[in-house]
Amino acid sequence: MSKVIKFNKESDLPPLVMSLGTTLVNKTGSWRYLRPVYQDKTAPCIEACPASEDIQQYMYLVAKGEFDKAWETLVAENPFPAVCGRVCYHPCELSCNRGEFDQPLAINAVERFIGDHGLERSLEPFKIAADRKEKVAIVGSGPAGLTCAYNLRRLGFKVVVLEKNEKPGGVLQFGIPEYRLPKDILAKEISRLEDFGIEIKTGVEIGKDVSWAALLKYDAVFLALGVHRSRAMDVPGEELDGVISGLEFLSQIARGEKVALGQNVAVIGGGNTAMDAVRTALRLGSKAKIYYRRTRAEMPAIRDEIEEAEREGIEMEFLVTPVRISGENGRVKEMTLQKMELGAPDESGRRRPVPVAGSEYTVTIDNVITAIGEMGDFNFIPEDMLEWGTVKTNHFGQTNIEHVFAGGDIIEQPHTVVHAIGSGKRTAMAIQAYLDHVDPETLVDKISVGFKGGFSFERFNDGQTGDPVDNHQVVHYEQINKNYFTEKPRNEADEQEISAGITTFREVKTTFDAQTVIGEALRCFNCGVCNMCDNCVIFCPDVAIKRREDDYRYEIDYDYCKGCGICVVECPRNALSLIPEGK
Amino acid sequence: MKKVLMGNHAVSYGARLARVEVIAAYPITPQTQIVEELSELCANGELDAKFIKVESEHSAMASCMGSSAAGARAFTATSSQGLALMHELLHFASGSRLPIVLANVNRAMGPGWNIWTEQTDSLAQRDTGWLQFYCENNQEVLDTVIQSFKIAEQLALPVMMVLDAFILSHTYEIVDVPERELIDKFLPPYMPEFKMDVDDPHAFGALVTPDNYYEIRYKMQKSMEKAPQIVTQTGVEYGEIVGRSYDVLETYFCDDAELVLVAAGTLVSNSRAVVQEYRSKGIKLGLLKIRMFRPFPTEQVRKILLHIPKIAVIDRNISFGASGIFFQELKAALYGRDGVSEARIFGFIIGLGGRDVRLQDIAEIVDYALEEEKPKEDIIWMGLKR
Ligand SMILES: Cc1cc2nc3c(=O)[nH]c(=O)nc-3n(C[C@H](O)[C@H](O)[C@H](O)COP(=O)(O)OP(=O)(O)OC[C@H]3O[C@@H](n4cnc5c(N)ncnc54)[C@H](O)[C@@H]3O)c2cc1C
Ligand code: SF4
Ligand code: SF4
Ligand code: SF4
Repeated sequence: MSKVIKFNKESDLPPLVMSLGTTLVNKTGSWRYLRPVYQDKTAPCIEACPASEDIQQYMYLVAKGEFDKAWETLVAENPFPAVCGRVCYHPCELSCNRGEFDQPLAINAVERFIGDHGLERSLEPFKIAADRKEKVAIVGSGPAGLTCAYNLRRLGFKVVVLEKNEKPGGVLQFGIPEYRLPKDILAKEISRLEDFGIEIKTGVEIGKDVSWAALLKYDAVFLALGVHRSRAMDVPGEELDGVISGLEFLSQIARGEKVALGQNVAVIGGGNTAMDAVRTALRLGSKAKIYYRRTRAEMPAIRDEIEEAEREGIEMEFLVTPVRISGENGRVKEMTLQKMELGAPDESGRRRPVPVAGSEYTVTIDNVITAIGEMGDFNFIPEDMLEWGTVKTNHFGQTNIEHVFAGGDIIEQPHTVVHAIGSGKRTAMAIQAYLDHVDPETLVDKISVGFKGGFSFERFNDGQTGDPVDNHQVVHYEQINKNYFTEKPRNEADEQEISAGITTFREVKTTFDAQTVIGEALRCFNCGVCNMCDNCVIFCPDVAIKRREDDYRYEIDYDYCKGCGICVVECPRNALSLIPEGK
Repeated sequence: MKKVLMGNHAVSYGARLARVEVIAAYPITPQTQIVEELSELCANGELDAKFIKVESEHSAMASCMGSSAAGARAFTATSSQGLALMHELLHFASGSRLPIVLANVNRAMGPGWNIWTEQTDSLAQRDTGWLQFYCENNQEVLDTVIQSFKIAEQLALPVMMVLDAFILSHTYEIVDVPERELIDKFLPPYMPEFKMDVDDPHAFGALVTPDNYYEIRYKMQKSMEKAPQIVTQTGVEYGEIVGRSYDVLETYFCDDAELVLVAAGTLVSNSRAVVQEYRSKGIKLGLLKIRMFRPFPTEQVRKILLHIPKIAVIDRNISFGASGIFFQELKAALYGRDGVSEARIFGFIIGLGGRDVRLQDIAEIVDYALEEEKPKEDIIWMGLKR
């Protein structure tokens, strides 16, 4: 309570202008009409990652040197950190707020470091929820299938993965070459999943070894067959000896088979398969060259790979398309190409290449590797489940047969590893919802991460690993208080020295050392999530903010917080929000 | 340890020995080297203080006030326009009774833009409730910074110590830098009776109605009145520990003098030389150095000057529409309640905007005052190009 202090004489007064009573009686909180609240938000990198990895959180942990915990955070959303750390096209980095400041975080490289750390330390993923009686069949052991299996297993389901190849992994195993993704890394990431209780049956082909009808007997089915039929070029001479599809070529190499290539190898196409084929051919000692019908800007291959191929000295000829392959004694000898120019945009938004009349020319060639696209092989799947060469599903991967789901490259989505992983995870959640008779639409609000379609398994599973995060507020660059950051160049992992005539399949990219990875993680703004920098405490003019008793995070004394909002403005990372009082 | 120091660095060394805890400053010629040196000492760890870079002198003083209120020993330095920009907060600092120390390098006010020495900038702040000391040489500069903290903290009033632009600020002299242990003995850590404490919060500097404001001001004046005695005592203590004593004033051949020159800052040194020369010719010339200008040491001045027939005040400043400011103060002191001086007081203005004041210029002042029975005009302009 306040009381009036009366000064009768000069000597009653204090020597300076100050209240003799405490100012605690003045509860300035009553002035407030805006209330600051701690509210962790979503970083744009997380929103952009199709696997919804909690990047901000593992950057925070890596910065503190807590690599084990960082790995746990990572595999909570993605069972393939060591794989993605090598082959992901990292859309996260394109959305990184730091990109507008100086350069984006090297998220992908940090991810690889943590993934490898997990493998070296043989860290185990999470405990399984109570076992359930339902059994789910998964067709295809690519990233989509295995991710779905992993998450279903975590939810307690029995899972069996049926794979027609002799080894699991899909494209990771038989497509992407050793120099980008070493087989032992892949093997370790997959065997960790097997140790975790996922049964993988290889050499089992649906439609041949197991019938469609038998498959439908499982409580739920996830189809993740990938697309493995190479698109034909439809030009005369395609059947000649020495013409081979990129996928075929790569899988033969992956199987350790000998492939005899001549000196001059033409690779047709501009996607990942083309890049991998041309770089593999180079390593086999050939002079390999890319022929692509649009320009470099339209190449669908991931940027890193195009650049690496260029650094390896691969030549690329743009705006050309083969019109004829001719041979001698049944073997390819020449290829005739036609020049193209870009016309009006097609349905993909890219400008359609149109032939330039009279521009044909011929090159002498020993081999042609075709890599102009892949299609699904859906021989056992009912016609009405298909549309435009993909399996039709709803937003959660459910097909027109309610207990059959599909994901990865066979559904309408970008053909990338991380999209496959995202769809595997999303579908695992949808399968549980289906088996529990829950409408997955009712979960969207809770489990979505931002607005780009990503879903968080942690949220789905109610994991209590961190503080609640507002998944509907994404922190953008304008909301970062740039005054607290200084420019610092991004760390880049080194590349193996590239000499002309590279013959080794040794991994091209090296990884960070521990000090560099910490340095890189320290560049992270930690968008939207409090990292306990104490700034709000320092700035509060009412001294109304204190560290919590457990020394983790903060509390605001609303008796005195007058709602000036200074803490909100001074938070470097927008981990505080100002909300209207009384709402 | 003896060092060759420029006046600005003598200030920095003094502040370091005083173990200042917060320095907030904005650069301005000719002061900048003071805080530049301090910022380096902070950066290389030789001085355990917080250096706050600010966007203006107003903020510099505000930062000093905040830190001082929280119990830290705070220091800043400025000059001329910078000091003028601080004006509002100079009142606020003294009204808050904060023992901040400020080093002001005397520089002329613009326009005409001028970076050379003149006393008007600091003297124009005479009513802000700050103590003011004027230094004669770099040794005194260093010693005064240290004493200023002790004086300020005893009185709970801020202190401005002043040195001349270039003549001291940028001129190297031999300066004895006392040993750290000696200064630690002389100047204990600052332990304020009242400070801002988040665990025991009080309101500071709040509204005071006419009912009490008057008494608050009275108390401030009472503290000011205690200052001469505290300054003398502190100067003696400093002498005992460090070996150089100081007082509010210094006399030079005043006892039997027929004419006494009154000056402050580096004008004192030249005057001293002139006194020596005249004395050697048998002329009874004396000199009074005003070291402390605020509070004005009226009693002490009266004691020395009341029996002197002629007094010549040398002002390197002007209060427009009145006269030299030391001249005004001298007149006010000598025509006081303890009897009226019979003296003829001459008011000379010289060397504005850093124009050189040579020995012969002082000698001209002396000759004028000796020759004329009384001043021919209120302001005697020396060296004016007519
Ligand atoms: C050469 C190449 C390089 C690539 N590089 C990259 C890259 O660097 N980064 C990137 O993000 N993406 C890359 N991609 C794309 C990426 O690999 C795919 O998008 C991803 O692998 C799709 O995963 P998925 O699980 O859907 O299918 P897949 O990985 O294709 O796996 C499908 C699996 O299903 C099995 N299967 C099929 N039919 C049956 C059946 N009837 N019965 C049993 N099993 C069956 C297959 O044998 C296969 O193992 C590349 C693709 C290729 C071809
Ligand atoms: S999986 Fe890809 S998008 Fe996700 S964090 Fe890793 S690199 Fe980025
Ligand atoms: S700065 Fe960190 S949290 Fe923010 S977008 Fe980039 S990686 Fe994500
Ligand atoms: S200012 Fe720092 S401590 Fe406060 S909420 Fe933001 S990140 Fe957390």
